[in-house]
Amino acid sequence: MLKYASNLIKLARNDRHLNPQVAIYYVTTQCNLNCAYCEDFGARRNDHAEPPRRLDQAMQILRVIRSGADSLFITGGEPLLHPDIDELLRRAEHELKFREITLITNGFLLSKHEAALSAVDRLIVSLDSLNAENWSQTIGIPLASTESIYNNICNYAMRQKEFGYQMMVNAVLSPETLSGAEALLEFCVENHLLISFSPQAVNNWVRYELIISSEYKVLIEKLIAYKKRGAPIAGSMAYLQTLIDFRPYDCYPTLAPRIMPNGDLTYPCRPFEKANNGQGGRPVNLLDVKTWDEAWSKARAAYGQPPRTCHSCFQQCYIEPSLMQSQPLTFLNEYLRYPSSRKGNLKTYAAG
Amino acid sequence: MPLGDSPRQKSNERQCDVLIIGGGMAGLSAALHLAERGLKPLILEADPRFIGGRLAGGEEVEIKGWRFRLEHGVHGVWSQYRNFQSMLARHHLRPVFTPSQEELWIYRDRYGTRKASVGSAIRYSIFPAPLHYIQLFLRSRFWWMLDLRDISRMFHVWSLLIMSVGIDPFREDQPMEGLTLNDFVKSWTPAIRAFFIGLARNGFSTHAEEIPLSGFLAFLRFYTILRRDAWTFSYLPEDGGTSVIEPLADKVRELGGEILLEKRVSRLEDGPTWKAYCDEEAFSAKQIILAVDASAASSIIKNSFGENALYFPRSLSNAVVRLWFDCTPKPGPESGTFTGDFVMHNFFWLDRIYASYRKWNKETGGSAIEVHIYGPQEILQNADAALLAQVITGLYQAYPELRGHLIHQHIQRNAATHTLPNLGSKDRHLGIETHWTNLFCAGDWVRDPIPSFFLERACATGIKAANAVLKTRGLDEWTLVGYLPPEPFVGWIEKLMVAGRKRRIAKRNAQKQSHQ
Repeated sequence: MLKYASNLIKLARNDRHLNPQVAIYYVTTQCNLNCAYCEDFGARRNDHAEPPRRLDQAMQILRVIRSGADSLFITGGEPLLHPDIDELLRRAEHELKFREITLITNGFLLSKHEAALSAVDRLIVSLDSLNAENWSQTIGIPLASTESIYNNICNYAMRQKEFGYQMMVNAVLSPETLSGAEALLEFCVENHLLISFSPQAVNNWVRYELIISSEYKVLIEKLIAYKKRGAPIAGSMAYLQTLIDFRPYDCYPTLAPRIMPNGDLTYPCRPFEKANNGQGGRPVNLLDVKTWDEAWSKARAAYGQPPRTCHSCFQQCYIEPSLMQSQPLTFLNEYLRYPSSRKGNLKTYAAG
Repeated sequence: MPLGDSPRQKSNERQCDVLIIGGGMAGLSAALHLAERGLKPLILEADPRFIGGRLAGGEEVEIKGWRFRLEHGVHGVWSQYRNFQSMLARHHLRPVFTPSQEELWIYRDRYGTRKASVGSAIRYSIFPAPLHYIQLFLRSRFWWMLDLRDISRMFHVWSLLIMSVGIDPFREDQPMEGLTLNDFVKSWTPAIRAFFIGLARNGFSTHAEEIPLSGFLAFLRFYTILRRDAWTFSYLPEDGGTSVIEPLADKVRELGGEILLEKRVSRLEDGPTWKAYCDEEAFSAKQIILAVDASAASSIIKNSFGENALYFPRSLSNAVVRLWFDCTPKPGPESGTFTGDFVMHNFFWLDRIYASYRKWNKETGGSAIEVHIYGPQEILQNADAALLAQVITGLYQAYPELRGHLIHQHIQRNAATHTLPNLGSKDRHLGIETHWTNLFCAGDWVRDPIPSFFLERACATGIKAANAVLKTRGLDEWTLVGYLPPEPFVGWIEKLMVAGRKRRIAKRNAQKQSHQ
């Protein structure tokens, strides 16, 4: 809350270099799935994957992150492919005392990493469709493996209390999965799961077939109505409304900075870093600094403040925190009007 | 960097699937959408070296060992350019843009030169559209631009602006023939008039006396008055050829299309199939899409059919001056407008926009600016040296810290290809479907109810022209991406005003009938 308030003061002073609400650490870029819509990492890019850091180095990276952020998202690639993931999560919780740890996984290897689960506060699992055949084609693995992921989700949904995490399904909406979205929501209600929806992106933009789809718009309007009635749909109303017509939003990417497996800080955001056109990059490696503030100052010195009015991408991981931070009155209104939104905070979005 | 394919055969007549005349954004958009449906479009581009029309890349200039590519001029990609962006993204061609962070208004009169940042106040206004311009008055610098006369006439200005909310010239087919922006703003006070004329001149590239009122009202509606975030835009990360056109042309070829350069079509011939003549060569096809600029389209139509009664929006020429300095000016917005006693009309700091210039700035500390001069003709007719001298003098008044640091200057005269958006009467202004069967038009000058302008309009009409061809072939047409609706408050005002106008018209008609 203090950080939120201090960021509001920064905004009032026209300072866009906002302090992070969460840090997202890609522990590995290796992946065991081959999702058709994946534009970043994935099995088909494993040949070019950056090797993960050793446990002691990864811990040092987390230590620096901890000095600037108290909420941590661990993701990948598939983070459970990191050889020391169980120990890393355990130590992040006990040694570094992150206030909140979120693990984003595809769920395939969950049964082999139960040791890691008690360290996480939120477990986000990808599930785009309950139709196994459809989903198998989407994620590029055999039907049998798909069924095993589905069984894992059901199993670990039932064991939320045992491990002490809150589980959330992240569903990518694509023309292929649109018709099954409501069934997915029902599944989440039955299994006491939160669900977050994000439209499929192509080239940092929403997929054309979704933009022109009336079925898609109707679905999002329904989701908003369900959420108003208390459905466990993660993300704010403002975020869901943005998904209806993809209106521009003011982006504050430094609220959710990303750290690559080797410790490089991407600044100001992942799309700028990947474009490599001088607007952003990897200005500092967290293994070369002692504190987050030091890394943050170096990044700012290299690339200045994040730009205003950027509409270069349309990514959930940046929209939600940006809206929350820049529209406090909207969120206050939402909080007061819809009881189901009172859980709404940075926990309830699924960073990709 | 020549990009065209050489003609495959030298015979006098070549048959092709669909012929597209003009390789600008409209022609390439049409070709891409046809090729994706399995057709084999052939594009004929008049330029001998570069495809892309007004978005083409150009020659390179060398400054102290650094090479920079020229182009027609810096282009903005606005948030409402949704078909353009969706088309590029669908083929993984959408680059990561350079966001426009702020726009500076530089105004000079007899009292001196003043500056105010205006863009962010409009798009981040706390007031809903159409009241969002009120935010400007919360900025002290904006007040310094005004005098008492401006303040006393503010309500009058506002009520005229609201007019654009109640009338949509493109959709309602309201050409407003003969009326110009000058008629609209003539009773306005100096600074406010300069501000809006500056805004319009940036959009229309010409003077208030020449800006058609219908085009201006449609422009206000599309770019600013209906939504705060409509005034959100980015720049391409490099010149248009490198960032967009050349990758797009490659994609057209990859999908089976073909592009021939240095093919200036002089006339068309109707018959069992259409024929297009370039010098002694002829190209025949069942369907032709005419996707050249308005002036070239007018000339082709006249040569082909002796048709003189048709209306074509004017095409405008301009001058672009680029200056390189061995130092960087004080930090400030990357672009803006000059109004009042300046010869130039807008500016773009290239080292804050383009990757190659940014790199140069980082390594050498140098900077470069591009300024556009939109007229009037007597100014454009000045010799290069005279025009450069006036630009440099004006620039030093706005940025005195640059005096003595100029290291290179370049002036470019752009031919009259830039469209002055306007609406002619239905029977005289060509739409996508024309009086001639199987001849379609595409481009930002074409009559169509879509609200967009320039790059987006070229792209959208290109897709619509492709759809017209696909329809004749019984193939699936493409759905256009819709534009963002007005904000709720302005939407409500719009409904009230439209209903009021309808009532007035009905009343007038009833009175007329009772007189008869």
